[in-house]
Amino acid sequence: MNADEVRESLAFSEYARKRARDDMGRPWLALVLLASLSVVSLSLTDASTSPTVLFWVFAGPVGAGAIALYAHRRNRSSGIDSSPLAYVAITVGLLILSYTAGKIGFAFHIPGISRFGPAFVAAVGYFALAWIERSWMVAAISFSLLAIAIAIIGFDFNPQQSTALVFGLYGITLLAVGFSMRAARRQLP
Amino acid sequence: MTHPSSALDDTIHQRVRLGILAVLSESRRADFAYLKDVLEVTAGNLSQHLAVLEEAGHVQIAKSFEDKRSRTWVTVTRRGRAALASEVAIMRALLDGLGSGQRA
Repeated sequence: MNADEVRESLAFSEYARKRARDDMGRPWLALVLLASLSVVSLSLTDASTSPTVLFWVFAGPVGAGAIALYAHRRNRSSGIDSSPLAYVAITVGLLILSYTAGKIGFAFHIPGISRFGPAFVAAVGYFALAWIERSWMVAAISFSLLAIAIAIIGFDFNPQQSTALVFGLYGITLLAVGFSMRAARRQLP
Repeated sequence: MTHPSSALDDTIHQRVRLGILAVLSESRRADFAYLKDVLEVTAGNLSQHLAVLEEAGHVQIAKSFEDKRSRTWVTVTRRGRAALASEVAIMRALLDGLGSGQRA
C-alpha cells in the first residue's frame, strides 16, 4: 500500500460522508422556516402582546408538524434516514429562546433586547445547524446574524430600522443558502 | 516491531466497505438501493460486502415491507462506528508519517 492509496481511501470515505449529509432529510430547511417565523412573531410584539401569543399558538404546532412531515417524507423517498432528535431539540430551544427574549425586553422596558433578541435567536439556531451539518457556510451565517444583532444595539437603531435590517439579511441569507446548496448538489460526482 | 499499516482492519479497509460505514456513520440508517447508488456497485457486490460487515458485527440489516414492496435498511453498530473511527485515524496517522509517494 502506498500513500496515494491511503489518500484515495480517505477521500472516498469523505465523499461518502458528504454525499450522505447532502442527501439526508434536510429537516433544517424547515427549521430555518420556523426560525423565520420566530423573528416575524417577535416583530409583532412592538404592536401588542396578544397577537404574538395567538401567533405562537398556531405557528408553533404548525411549524413543528411541518418539520416532522417534511423529514418523514424526505427520509422515505431518499433512502437515508437521519435522527430527528437534534432538530426537534433545536427547534424547541429556538421557540423558547425567542419567546423569552421578547418577553424580557418588554417586561423590563428594554427595547434593545426586544429588537436584538430575534437576530440573536436566529444566530443561535444557525450555529446549532452549522454544528449538525458540519457546515462552515451555515456557521458564517450565524456569525453574520450575530454581528447584525450587535450592530442593532451598538448603533441604537429604532424598531423599524432593526426589523428592516434583520429581515433584509434574512432574505439575502436564505437566497444565498438556497443557491449554494443547489450549486453544491450539481458539483457532486 | 510491526509496520503501522498492519494496524489497518482488513474487514473495513476495502473501499466499498469503508464507504458503507462512512455513509451509515452520518445517518441513522440507509436502505440498500441508496447504498448501491452512492457507492456505484452492483446489487450482488453490495450484498457480499454487507454480509462481511454484518458477520463482523459492524452493521445490522433489517428487512421491512413499505408500500407493498420489500425494503432493506442497514444500520451501523457501535462497534462499526468505533472501527471506522479507528481506521480513519490510522490512515491519517500513516499519511502524516509519510511523504507523498512513499510506501506505507
